[in-house]
Amino acid sequence: MTLQPNPPLEHAVLVSSIVGSRLDHDLGHRLHHMEHDGMVETVRIETRDMARRRLRVVTDRGTACLVALPRSEQLFDGAVLLLEPGRAIVVRALEQAWLRLRPASLPDALALGYAAGNLHWKVRFAGGDIEIALEGPPAAYLDRVRELIAEGRVTPVDAADEA
Amino acid sequence: MNALSPRLSPAPAMSPPNAARIGIGGPVGSGKTALIEALLPVLQARGVSVAVVTNDLVTAEDAERLRRSGIIDPARVLAVEAGACPHTVIREDPTLNMLAADELDARFPELDLVIIESGGDNLASTFSLDLVDWWIFVIDVAGGGDIPRKRGPGVLQCDLLVVNKVDLAPHVGVDLDVMLEEARHVRGGRPLVATACRAGLNIDQVADAIADAVLLRR
Repeated sequence: MTLQPNPPLEHAVLVSSIVGSRLDHDLGHRLHHMEHDGMVETVRIETRDMARRRLRVVTDRGTACLVALPRSEQLFDGAVLLLEPGRAIVVRALEQAWLRLRPASLPDALALGYAAGNLHWKVRFAGGDIEIALEGPPAAYLDRVRELIAEGRVTPVDAADEA
Repeated sequence: MNALSPRLSPAPAMSPPNAARIGIGGPVGSGKTALIEALLPVLQARGVSVAVVTNDLVTAEDAERLRRSGIIDPARVLAVEAGACPHTVIREDPTLNMLAADELDARFPELDLVIIESGGDNLASTFSLDLVDWWIFVIDVAGGGDIPRKRGPGVLQCDLLVVNKVDLAPHVGVDLDVMLEEARHVRGGRPLVATACRAGLNIDQVADAIADAVLLRR
């Protein structure tokens, strides 16, 4: 089998530190002007990959980058990876997808909470519901609590049904 | 540029500020240490400077095995004794492993790569991305052809799945094609490599994957 190689390394930009945040006043001002001149490239990164210090990414204009940050630095939405007179590269974190589950009763909530902890899911709470940060397809998560769902003790909740 | 102007990127660095860190996890006996033993000569031949952190429950068995192997400077191998569940020290609280990798970074400033080998664990074992930048999960054919179907988090979430000991498939009643196809299916097409570490089969592909993911050069 063949792994798909990344773009050639010799053309990659090495990013060894974060220049700053696009929310910084002066930096944001400068980027604003550069955007008008078409000089700003964007790297879109999945939420789960934002914790990596070392990863290879490609900008929306095809520039290959090897991000190799010191262990003390971390990527964030709006991080400026490169700032040159004619080019800037900015990180855009893709929105985290959540799977919302609703327990039917307090005992069911305990069972669901136990399962979520046992499976090391990253969760947040929304009223009586639990929301799971998706790092894979929803079916892979639903499959782990299929018995609770089949017994009507837990129900997946669509965004449109959240009320 | 005056004092209030945003600073430009520093002059392009020729090398990253510290070594990349990758994890290798998987069940007991799947071939994690054997994979490292096979990888080290391949990486070293490519000019990659490597060090290793091993994790064992209450001994330094894997570290001693690597130190005695003659394929790596013994000073480049550090042992972490987990003392409890192996996944705790690579996921919930990876402090011990972070300190060990920091020590190797300080001891060998030219280091390109630190390989952190987990202690043998179950299929739910995963690495924290606070500890490593990228990680491999090793399963083996002799452990059972049904392992991918069990959809363990290690199998699903790793950056590269290694299915080891493929040369044993005919001897343990495993249909290798089915096992690999199921592995691809549950991983949604994410990468996997079939290896026989003892025979050196496809170790180059694993080294390529590491280089593509986290190294400056192949």
